Amino acid sequence: MARAVTTNRKVVSTVFGWAIAILIFFPILWTILTSFKTEAEAIASPPSFLVFDWTLENYSTVQERSDYFLHFMNSVILSLGSTVLGLLIAIPAAWSMAFVPAKRTKDVLMWMLSTKMLPPVGVLVPIYLIFRDIGLLDTRLGLVIVLTLINLPIIIWMLFTYFREIPGDILEAARMDGASLRDEIIHVLTPMAVPGIASTLLLNVILAWNEAFWTLNLTAANAAPLTAFIASYSSPEGLFYAKLSAASTMAIAPILILGWFSQKQLVRGLTFGAVK
Amino acid sequence: MATQHSRAAARTMISPAVILLLGWMLIPLGLTIYFSFLRYNLLMPGANPFVGFENYAYFFTDPAFWPAVINTLLLVGGVLLITIVGGVLLALLLDQPIWGRGIVRILVIAPFFVMPTVSALVWKNMFFHPVNGLFGQLAKGLGFEPFDFLAQAPLASIILIVSWQWLPFATLILLTALQSLDSEQLEAAEMDGAGALSRFRHIALPHLARAITVVILIQTIFLLSVFAEILVTTNGGPGNASTNLTYLIYAQSLLQFDVGLGSAGGVFAILLANIVAFFLMRMIGKNLDL
Repeated sequence: MARAVTTNRKVVSTVFGWAIAILIFFPILWTILTSFKTEAEAIASPPSFLVFDWTLENYSTVQERSDYFLHFMNSVILSLGSTVLGLLIAIPAAWSMAFVPAKRTKDVLMWMLSTKMLPPVGVLVPIYLIFRDIGLLDTRLGLVIVLTLINLPIIIWMLFTYFREIPGDILEAARMDGASLRDEIIHVLTPMAVPGIASTLLLNVILAWNEAFWTLNLTAANAAPLTAFIASYSSPEGLFYAKLSAASTMAIAPILILGWFSQKQLVRGLTFGAVK
Repeated sequence: MATQHSRAAARTMISPAVILLLGWMLIPLGLTIYFSFLRYNLLMPGANPFVGFENYAYFFTDPAFWPAVINTLLLVGGVLLITIVGGVLLALLLDQPIWGRGIVRILVIAPFFVMPTVSALVWKNMFFHPVNGLFGQLAKGLGFEPFDFLAQAPLASIILIVSWQWLPFATLILLTALQSLDSEQLEAAEMDGAGALSRFRHIALPHLARAITVVILIQTIFLLSVFAEILVTTNGGPGNASTNLTYLIYAQSLLQFDVGLGSAGGVFAILLANIVAFFLMRMIGKNLDL
C-alpha cells in the first residue's frame, strides 16, 4: 500500500517536473532548433517544430558575414585571461588568509566582498574616460583588466572557502615527517587545493564569458566578445531569425556545457558561504 | 603556530590583491564624486567649472528621474516576486523523487548560463515579435489580435526576460537549502498527522527563510544593475517606459556625454546599492566564523 502511494507520487512529480523543466528550457531549445532552419522556415506560420529541412547553412553564413570567429576568440581570451590573472593574484591572498589568519582577516575579506557590490554604472564615467585617455578602449587588454578586477572578490572568496577545508593537521604531520616547506606546498597542499582552484576557475570563466555591462560599454569592433557581437544583431539583422539563432547557439553552447558541470560551485561562489 | 616570519609572508601574499582592489574602488569612486561637482560635458570642451550640487539638482528634477526610480523598483520587485515564489515551488518539486532528476535539474538551471544579450534578443524576436514571434503566432492561431509586447508592455516584458534568467539561480540556492533540511523532522511531523501544507509552513519555510533572504539580497544587487536586456530590447523606451536608473545614467553619460550629470547619478546609484549591500554583508559576516 505504502509502496503504491510512493510510486504514484513519483509519477505525478515526474510528470510535473519534466513539464516545467521543458517549459523553462524551451526558449533555448527553440533557438537551437531555429538555427537549423532556413530563414523562410524560421518565420513560417504555423511554426514547424521538428519536421523541416535541417540545414547547417546559417552557421557558415554567420561566420562569413560577421567574422564570428574573431569575437569567439575575444570571448575566450577575455574570460580565460581575466580568470587566470585573477587566480594568480587571488591564490596567494586566499592562501595566506586561510592558513595564517590574522585578527583583521575577516574585515579584509568582508571589505573585498563589498567592492563587488559597487554598481558598475556608478563608476562607468571615470573608467570610460581613463580608458579613452590611455588608449584602452576597445582593447582586449583593457577588458581583461576590468573583468579581472570585478571578479577578483568572488575568486578570492571562493578560494578562501575551499582552502579553509584543508585540514591544518596534515601540514603538521608532514612537518613531523621531515617535509620541507617546499615539499609541503608541492606534495601536500597543492594536490588538495587543485579541486577548489578548478571549481573557481570554472565558475569565473562562466561569469566573465557572460559579463554584459563592461563588454558592451568598453568595446567596439576589435575587442568585442560574443556578448557585444550578439547585441549588434538587435537591429535590423535580428529579423533574420535563423542566423540570429545560429549565432546565439554558438555563443551559449560552450558555457551551457561548462555550466552544467558547475552547479554546486555556483551556489558556493555566488552566496559567499551564506547558504550551505 | 604563526610566527613573525609567516605573518610577514602572509602580508606580502595578500598585498597585491588588496592594493588592486583598493585602487579599483578608490580611483573611480573618487573621480565619480569629483566629476559630479563639475559642469563637464564631452561635447563642450573647455574649462569644467565647479558647480556645487547643480548636477544633483538636475538629476533629481530630471523628468526622467522618477519614472526611472519607479521602473527600477518595479523591475527589482517584479523579478524578486516571480523568482522567489517560483523558486520555492520549483525547489519543492525538484526535491521530490523524480525519474531523470539530474536531467530535469540541468534543464531548469540552463537559462542562468545564457548571456544576457542572447536571452534578450531571443525573447525579443522569437517570442515577443507581434508577427513572427511565437506568442504572436499563437495568438493568431487562437484568433486573438497580435500583441506587441515590447511596445505595449515594455517593462513587464523585460521583467519576464530577467525573471527567466534568474529563476534558475533562486531555485538552485533554495534547493540546496531544502536538501539540508532534516528529513527526520519532516517524518516525525508527518507521523503526528501534519498535512503537507502545514509541514511546509511550519518546517520547510522557516528553514528556507535564511536562504530566501540571501537570494533576495544577492539578486537585488544584480537587478539594480540590469542593463544589457534593456539596451538590446527597448533602448529604455518607448519614451521612458522601460528606463531604469542604470540605463538612465548610462544614457546621460555615454549618449548625451554629460559627464557631470551622469556622475551625480552614479553617486546616487552607489548609495542605493550600499543600502542593500549593508544588509547582505551583515548576513554573510554572521555566517563567517573566523
